[in-house]
Formats: sequence, C-alpha cells, structure tokens
Amino acid sequence: MKGFNRLIYPYIVWAIIMIILPMLMIVLYAFTVKGNDVLTFQFTLENFVRFFKDPIFPGVLWRSLKVAFITTAICILLGYPCAYIFAKMKPNNQAVMVLLVTLPMWINVLVRTYAWRGLLSYVELSSEVRVYVGMVYNFLPFMILQVYTALSKIDPALITAAHDLGANDTNTFLKVILPLSLSGVVSGITLVFLPAVSSFFIPKFLGGGQYLLIGNLIEDYFIQTGDWNFGSAISLIMAIIILISMYIMRKLDREPKEAEVN
Amino acid sequence: MNKILRSLLASVLLLAACGGNKPAATENVDVKDAKELYGCNVINVYNAGEYIGENVLSDFENLYTAKVNYETFESNEMLYTKLLGGSSYDVLVPSDYTIERLLQENMLQKIDKAAITNIGNLNPDVVEMQKVFDPTLEYSVPYFWGTVGLVYNKNNVDPKVIEEQGWDILLNTDYAGKIFFYDSQRDAFMIAFKALGFSMNTDNENEILAATNWLKKMATTMDPAFVTDEVIDAMANGEKDIAIMYSGDAAYVLSENEDMAWIEPSQGTNVWVDAMVIPANATCPGLANAFINYITDYDASYANSEEVGYTSVHKEVFEELSGAGGTYEGNPAYMPRVGYEKDEVFHHNEILKQELGHNWNQVKNSINN
Repeated sequence: MKGFNRLIYPYIVWAIIMIILPMLMIVLYAFTVKGNDVLTFQFTLENFVRFFKDPIFPGVLWRSLKVAFITTAICILLGYPCAYIFAKMKPNNQAVMVLLVTLPMWINVLVRTYAWRGLLSYVELSSEVRVYVGMVYNFLPFMILQVYTALSKIDPALITAAHDLGANDTNTFLKVILPLSLSGVVSGITLVFLPAVSSFFIPKFLGGGQYLLIGNLIEDYFIQTGDWNFGSAISLIMAIIILISMYIMRKLDREPKEAEVN
Repeated sequence: MNKILRSLLASVLLLAACGGNKPAATENVDVKDAKELYGCNVINVYNAGEYIGENVLSDFENLYTAKVNYETFESNEMLYTKLLGGSSYDVLVPSDYTIERLLQENMLQKIDKAAITNIGNLNPDVVEMQKVFDPTLEYSVPYFWGTVGLVYNKNNVDPKVIEEQGWDILLNTDYAGKIFFYDSQRDAFMIAFKALGFSMNTDNENEILAATNWLKKMATTMDPAFVTDEVIDAMANGEKDIAIMYSGDAAYVLSENEDMAWIEPSQGTNVWVDAMVIPANATCPGLANAFINYITDYDASYANSEEVGYTSVHKEVFEELSGAGGTYEGNPAYMPRVGYEKDEVFHHNEILKQELGHNWNQVKNSINN
C-alpha cells in the first residue's frame, strides 16, 4: 500500500509551480524597486511605506473589511436559523433542502452575478443594497452547509438529557445546541469572511463600480498602471491579513473543543 | 457578459467551421501556400475583443493554407502587460498611444510596404492622424478609428441641453443616477480636461488638480455607474439615459435602439486610431504582413466594420456602409468628427499615467466611504 504515497508527487509538482513559485515572486516583487533586471535586484521597503502613507489605501482596506464583515454577519443571521430548521426536518427532507442550497453552486459565480444584475435592474435599490444582496447570495450556502453539518452531528440523546434535567427549549438551545454548533459557525466564517475580503467582482458588477476594494486595486496596479511591485506589495499585505484572520479563526475553533474536554 | 458569451460562441463556431469545410471555400480563389512563401504557416494575432468579422480569419486561413492563433485583450494596458510577460505575437492591434510607446521602446519592426498592396485604400484623413504616433508611417497600418462621445436617450434628455452643456452634463444633477461613466483613467481625465478647456495631454499640475476635483464632484454628486464593455448592452437595453462611449460601440447601440442619439461635445474629444503592428520578436513576419494586407482589402474591411460597428479606415468601405442603403446609413456615430481643432490624439506619458492612475483611484475612493 505504501506505493500509493507516490501518487502525491504530481500534486507536489503542481503546488510548487502554481502556488509556491508565484508567491515567492510576489514577495520578491513587493520588496524590490520598479524596472529591475532579471539578475540585479534593488531591494526597498518603499512600496509598503507608500501603502500606509497614502490615505487611499487604508481607506480601501477598511472598506474591504467592512464589506466582508457585514456580509459574514448577515450570512450568520440568515444561515443559522436556516441550518437549524433543516437539521430538525425528516432525513429525506433534509437531503432535499441541502440539495436546494447546493444547486445554485453548480453554476459559475460569474453567470449568477450577471443574472442578479439583470434581476436587480427592475427594482430601485441603492448600490450598497445591491452589493450585499449579491454577496450574501453568493456566500450564504457555505455558511448554511457548515452550520447544518455541525448541528446534524449533535447526538439527539444530549437534547433529551437536557430536557430530562429540567432545561426548557431556550436553555437547551443556549447551553447545549449553540455551543456544540459553534465549530460549524467558525468554519462557516472562514469560508465566508476570507473570500469576501478579497472579492471584487460582485461589488464591481452589482455596485456599479462604486466600490473600490483591495481586489480592484491589485488588478489596477497589475494591469492598468503596470506597477507590478506596488501591486505585489498590496497582495502581500492582503495575504498577511488573511493569515492573521485564519489564525484567529483556528483559535476560536479550538476553544469550544477544549471546553468540551474539560 | 453578453460580449464574452458571444465571443465564446463565435470561437466555438469558428472551430466548428474550421474543422468542417477546409477545402470547400477554395473554389475560385488562388490558394497560396504560406509554408512555401514565408517558411512558416502559423501566426499569433492579438486583437481587441469584438473587433473582427465572422469569417475573416477562416477565409484567411483557407487562402494561405495557414493557421491563425487569435487572442483578444480588454485594454491596451493588458496588451502591454502581456508583452512584458514575454508573450510572442506576429500581429498586434493596439491604439495610437500604445503604438507610440512600443515604438519608443523599440518593440516593433517595420511593415514590409511592398507586401501591403492595399495601402492605397486607406482614408487620407486617417493617415494624417496616423502620423501623430507613427511619423514615418513605416510601423503601422490603421485598422479602425473613431472618437469618444456621449450616447443619450432622446426621450429623457433634451438634445438642446446636451448640445449646450457637452461634457458638463455629467455634472448636471438632473441626471444623477442616470449616467454610465467609462471606468478608465485615460478617458475619465480626457473628459475632465476637455470640460475644463485644457488639453487632454496636459502635464500642468494645477490643471491635473482641477480635473481631479471635477471628477470627484462628478463621482460624489452624480451616483455614476462605472462600467467598461458592459455599457454596450446596457445602453442598447436603455438602462440609463447618458453614457460615455466609443463611437463604434455607439454606432451599434444606435442601430439597436432608436431612442438613442450620439453627440461629440463641442469642448472637444479624443480622436483615436487603432492600427496593426508587427512586434520585433515576431516569429512569422512574412505571413504577418500578408495578414495585414488581407485585412486592408475591401472584403475583410467590409466584414469587420459591418459586424462590429467601428468606422472603417478603408475609404470605399466607409462610403459604402455610411452611404445610401448602407448598414450604417444615417448613423452619426459611424461618421466620427474629422479635423475639429479641439479634438486631440492621446500621447503616452509614463509618469503622467502613474499620477493620473493614482488620482483616478482617489476619485473612486471618495464614494461609499
């Protein structure tokens, strides 16, 4: 059976060429000045200084975080009750509901966003509302599925036990179900918040291009302005933010489990 | 999106067509063998999206027993970035200012004028404009030309008002929430400079500041939708009342929706020429020259211009399409303004580009804070 381990080699090669190498190049570009030769590099921190000195960029960063944060909050508010209702249904109906949630994801996000653009053109909405409609629509399934999985893994005996010990429905939910489902919420947040910070397509198309987000800036510096070094610096800052967020998420995820053991 | 879908569909159909009837289309044409003539039979062509007629490529392939690898770009900047990345092409179709830049950086080779037997077909007005970016006329052959202007809905915008205000209608709050603004720093600053009576190629700091403030005022008071190519279908559907558009796209919109009208503001605008060039590192320049000549022929020029709505540089094709019975008869956007003193050709300026790019982000950053 050990021979199967070798099957991982193609993936390693793939990862090196498609993930590691480009990331190293971004780091290299971010710390060098423009117009470098292939062989001589001139290192600098100028790109990062520029980012934090210019009032545009922290503003853009703040806007990106805000859009991602609000999207995630709405996804939790809508997704949790949804998942809760699903988890209480008969198994057959659960399967149908999960299918209905997954179904739109079979279609490419680009196509779906264009469809929303057409739909929303019939109603008078501010560009802000349009953006959030599109963002929540796109990310909600990830939240529902994560929470639903956590909820359906809860042993029904625990709920019966809570009732037997005199807890009413509210207390059972707050003290048993909610804590046990938090890991689902946390992984839901990971799947919604992180891609939402870097999303730029949905805000661009539904918000009439009025939302200058960090993803738009990166695109702009690579393609329009042609300043790859500065674009790389922004990408690197973005990557660091995502890493920090992931670290926080993992900590949050671990805590309830430790409590469980205790 | 429709554009993307359409071009996808077109390429699928094209593939199907290539596979299906290779020898069939060669009945009474003198088929040439590219391999024998030029030593190679494959060229890589890089053109703007939605910029070519239906059978133009497959007819060329059949005529020369050759293969054309056809790729499209969204903007000149994207083309330049791709070239920097080391991609190799035989024919490019950039705009005037990008050709100027490629020439400055020695990235182009001379066109073989002996091979371009159709050069006499070109509209002399366009050749005059070509001299602005290619003074010796040795490096490029025009493809399409046009201007930038405003498309508006005649039912909702008084033609007299828009004629009188020109670009300043983009600051008229009667139309707040009803405008599409083109999301490109180059076009945005061109409009602001012209509205303020400056040259669009200015590098005067005070004028740049005034233009930036003009754009900020527009962005914060007019609730504009910033768009690029999607504006074409949106205006054809009449989604908003006023849009900044390229003349060729406007010609298409006007032919689709009769409520729409076209105006080139009296404050002046950008006149542009897109032209075919051969990069210095082209692998099959012989066939590239043959391709350029083929495109400059009547039939291919006609097919291209009729299909996409951009103004032909071929004088007879232009007369045919805009004249009595032509597809674009009476369509003002197909007949861009020529020789107006306030109209200018855009020049490449790297430092200015960086500065205006930054200012344009500042403008967009001033909304939704």
